[in-house]
Amino acid sequence: MKNSHPDELREAPATYATGANEDIDLELLKDNLTRTPWERMLANDDALNFAESLRVAMEKRNATLK
Amino acid sequence: MQHLSELTRRLIAANVEFVLVGGFAAAAHGVLLVTKDVDICCRFNEKNLLRIQAAFADLHPVHRSRPDLTLQLTPEQCASLKNLYLKTDLGVVDCLGQVLGVGDFDEVLKNSVEVELPFGKCQIINIETLIRAKEAMNRDHDRIAVKHLKEIIKQTQK
Repeated sequence: MKNSHPDELREAPATYATGANEDIDLELLKDNLTRTPWERMLANDDALNFAESLRVAMEKRNATLK
Repeated sequence: MQHLSELTRRLIAANVEFVLVGGFAAAAHGVLLVTKDVDICCRFNEKNLLRIQAAFADLHPVHRSRPDLTLQLTPEQCASLKNLYLKTDLGVVDCLGQVLGVGDFDEVLKNSVEVELPFGKCQIINIETLIRAKEAMNRDHDRIAVKHLKEIIKQTQK
């Protein structure tokens, strides 16, 4: 976001650019391409572990609802 | 806790002759999809397989299809194995002798790029060959990965 104050909250744009096949968020992809391969590999680990922690949390929640 | 990047680091530290292929290679190229395992194509000889074993020795490696079997390779196994599917404390590692749509280790190596990681150099299957491999596999998630990879080529050529 240009000309915004650094302390301002960044909001996701109402629309986002997609690739030709419309299921790729081009903004995210372009941002990812500015990272090094190693940073991308670490990001995969983070996402994987976050997804796993969500799965475990959902399992616990579902168990308490039973 | 899964730590695919640490598994990769260990392979490099142990001087395993390998090329990173599959979803983690796609992630390294910039694909936004999350992958759950490390796929490598490696030379299937005793020396290299024992290096893989040593790399994961303290991570309780077991054969994925037989979790009751700890990884303890014998010379006979090393001579006959074509693939090695492992589960470790830090995640799953699939070691392949060849890649569908590409060929054996030497062919995959020829079609790889050397990438500098913080702890050493890593061979990663190049983006065009990864597309070929993903198209050959042709599962749902492979087709999505191919779309991402093609878009990455487009973006990086701009």
